[in-house]
Amino acid sequence: MASDEKRIILRGRKVIGGIAEGEALVSKKPLMGWGNVNEKLGFTTERNHPLFEVPFKGKVLVFPEPRGSGGFMGYGRTRAYGNHPAAFVYRKVCTLTIFAAMIAKIPTVTDFDIDPLEVIETGDYVIVNGDEGIVEVIKKNKETQR
Amino acid sequence: MKLTDEEKRILDGEQGYLAQKCMEFLVAYGEAAGAERLVDIDGTADLHPGMKSSWIPDYAITLEEIEEAAKRGEKFKVPTFANKPIAPGFIVDGWETCCTWPNSDPEYHKKCMRNIQPFIQMGMIPTLSCDYYLVSSYSPTVGQHCSWGESSAIPWCNAILGARTNIDGCFQTAYLGKVPAYDMHLDENRVATVLVESETELKSDMEYDLFGWAVGEAVGLKVPAIVGIGKPTTSQLVKMNSSLNTGGEVRMYHIPGLTPEAPTLEAAFKGNKIKERIVITRQDLRRVYDMLNYAKDDDVDFVFLGCPHYNIIEVQKVARLLEGKRCKANLWVMTNPWTYKMAEMAGYKDIIERAGGKFLSGTCAGEMRGEMPPTKVMATDSAKQNYYITGHLHPKKLQVWYGTMEECIDAAITGKWRGEWRL
Repeated sequence: MASDEKRIILRGRKVIGGIAEGEALVSKKPLMGWGNVNEKLGFTTERNHPLFEVPFKGKVLVFPEPRGSGGFMGYGRTRAYGNHPAAFVYRKVCTLTIFAAMIAKIPTVTDFDIDPLEVIETGDYVIVNGDEGIVEVIKKNKETQR
Repeated sequence: MKLTDEEKRILDGEQGYLAQKCMEFLVAYGEAAGAERLVDIDGTADLHPGMKSSWIPDYAITLEEIEEAAKRGEKFKVPTFANKPIAPGFIVDGWETCCTWPNSDPEYHKKCMRNIQPFIQMGMIPTLSCDYYLVSSYSPTVGQHCSWGESSAIPWCNAILGARTNIDGCFQTAYLGKVPAYDMHLDENRVATVLVESETELKSDMEYDLFGWAVGEAVGLKVPAIVGIGKPTTSQLVKMNSSLNTGGEVRMYHIPGLTPEAPTLEAAFKGNKIKERIVITRQDLRRVYDMLNYAKDDDVDFVFLGCPHYNIIEVQKVARLLEGKRCKANLWVMTNPWTYKMAEMAGYKDIIERAGGKFLSGTCAGEMRGEMPPTKVMATDSAKQNYYITGHLHPKKLQVWYGTMEECIDAAITGKWRGEWRL
């Protein structure tokens, strides 16, 4: 269904370089760490969170910003267990997301010209070019989605 | 990132291997942050002593390296305070009474205390607490650059003291006395961007806790100017800060007429037009309260108080509520080591222990990764502890009640939860 593909380019700023691609896993709600991330299994354990127990291994993890403790680093430490995301894409940079990206050592882009949460939906195919600060989104075909 | 000649020399190893390794971290961190330079810390630093006093494993300074530096007589460059120990978190005072493993083991306690000795030798003040800033006896002043950690501490530094910090306190920043200059270190990022009005004046400690959470959820990383809350006490500010930085990621805020960078509302916005306005209503507080009351069963096994670590007036309140009473449920009252000594002198420790409660310092149930008495139903007066503890215990199910200190003490004495929405 290549003809139905819609491609969108987002331009932002590099946090960590490298190129990675994968399916997007989008959290509209900020992500929280410390007790509320399971580093070994690679998912959020925050009760009430839409992504509770949803594994992010190999996904392009898209979220607005972090919330809470410095224990947000846990999202990066999933790397030690091989359950880290393929890339991070987030709206705004702050210390917690910088450290998580440095620990995970995965392509990470932020500070975009277009809000990534307005464009990217779970299931879209995303190519993250950390070196150039470019994120390419290939929209999932709406027809086949159903 | 642009380095000074001195910084370049440190990076080249002219001041030794350890300084070089610390500088390598600061450069990598600064570049990922988009910082243009480093800034000298002229305020204070804190770090979480233990096996993970560095944030990034690739740039970690090992305990052996820290021990060697301590033996060589090396010191931290700036006044450095101990946040709560992590990896592992452990009970500093009162561990003999806790009855949980491994903290009740004397060998374990000895080992944990031994791990932090090299930090102390290097000049770290053993305040060992998430709210050490309440008892440190030395605070940064307005405009000073700092490097701190912890949810409730970050807004304390930025908003209450008017000093400047991101969430990056660690061995490296304390050792070099330098930190990347970005985000909260720069004037333009400290200006209010959203006006938050409280519909009604806040009175109780719980209202401040709930309000902080509601604001955090609404504003995320923005810098709010908060009006209409009334005159918060120290306990209330600490609670609000903890919630602002748990329900959201508020590192900085202004309360016109109260916080040092905002003598007026106009000053909070630096004369900019107010573009966004949010009102926090009673209903918002109620919604947070209901979200935190994550329990159905009225029988309470465990009451946890002291997140953030209780100050001396909070411990005094607990002692007054417990005087002559006897607890049915397990009760832990957590404070910082300095306040612990003071409470011992004042006789509060004896009162709590006579009532069957445990009086402890230096950590919390969350930081102990769920090391606690066997518990199906817990009660706490802290939104932060409430919301994290279910994650810490995952996949084990835990029910948590949330209410005032008085309701929690009542639950400890009766073994029943009788808290309710009374605002």
